[in-house]
Amino acid sequence: MADNPDTAASPDPVTERALRIIEEGAPGAVTTSELTGRHPWIGVKAESLRDVAGLVRDHDDLKMECCHLISGVDWPDPKSETGGEMEVIYHLCSYAFPADEAYKQRAEKNDPWIALKVRVPRDKPEVPTVMDIWTGADWHERETYDLVGIRFTMRKELFRILLPEDWPGHPLQKDWVYPASYHGVPIIPPEGL
Amino acid sequence: MSDDKILHPEIDPELERSLVLTTVDWVKDWGRRNALWPMAFGLACCAMEMMATAATKYDLDRFGAGVFRASARHSDLMIVAGTLSHKMAPRLRRLYEQMPDPKYVIAMGACVVGGGPYSKYGYHVVQGVDLIVPVDIYLPGCPPRPEALIDAIRKLQYRIQQQGGATIQETQKTA
Repeated sequence: MADNPDTAASPDPVTERALRIIEEGAPGAVTTSELTGRHPWIGVKAESLRDVAGLVRDHDDLKMECCHLISGVDWPDPKSETGGEMEVIYHLCSYAFPADEAYKQRAEKNDPWIALKVRVPRDKPEVPTVMDIWTGADWHERETYDLVGIRFTMRKELFRILLPEDWPGHPLQKDWVYPASYHGVPIIPPEGL
Repeated sequence: MSDDKILHPEIDPELERSLVLTTVDWVKDWGRRNALWPMAFGLACCAMEMMATAATKYDLDRFGAGVFRASARHSDLMIVAGTLSHKMAPRLRRLYEQMPDPKYVIAMGACVVGGGPYSKYGYHVVQGVDLIVPVDIYLPGCPPRPEALIDAIRKLQYRIQQQGGATIQETQKTA
């Protein structure tokens, strides 16, 4: 019987290996990390994200060639000078992961995967793109921009994917206010907002 | 046969059997209600029930409303089946205006009746399709079963016959 992943005290072998590879291949890129729990992750600086992304994709011991998902989180903080932080989470998985001990431990649960987290200041939420590293990141970046408002630089034509082009603001930001109407059609805000 | 016999059918029993006397309006409404051509316009999960209604098991064609058209210009009934987002609303209005008169609208499902599960926090969902186009029949349910859609179409047919084929827009104009 495997440990409960929520309270597992032992570090995740795949993330542990990824952390070691990133620290060797891109020194100073890692800010913080959490290797235990259900969803271990590695925090990365925004300016070195592209180096790390290329590293985990191409390294023979990782081969994270699939960008599963990119999600954005808004962390507002009125006390902070920058108004808080915004976070982009890259969920990466591997189909060609080397079948060694770490794979066997991981494969009981799922495909081997890691998660990278990038935090940027809220008043300037700019993250370099990974679209040229994983082509499938294109729509994920557009959706993250659409709903959370994180701008991805070094790529062209970043525009909305789901909402209309002239939609006011980014709805999943915590301080987004409901517009009264959109093109004359009323939008009824929920009570208490 | 003299002219008197043609003008007065009661004189000739043969004519009584072969003539039906009615009003043009009644025949017109009879034709309209029994040949509703819906537009194939599915927006979300309600469209699955709409497809099931048109398929063999429920066979919407029994009621003359099974000829789903892919063009707004061919159809006179718009079944708005599914969640209507603010991005889709201008397209829906344009399709409605492309339909030739007389035209009817069935709001199918909780989302288009009044927002449904998105009525509180769904910033992207139009809170009822009647904000965009006039609606003849409201059909609640999430999603409504095919029997319910058949019932809605039967009610619309009854209404067409009772109201002399006037669409809800014409009824509002005269009121």
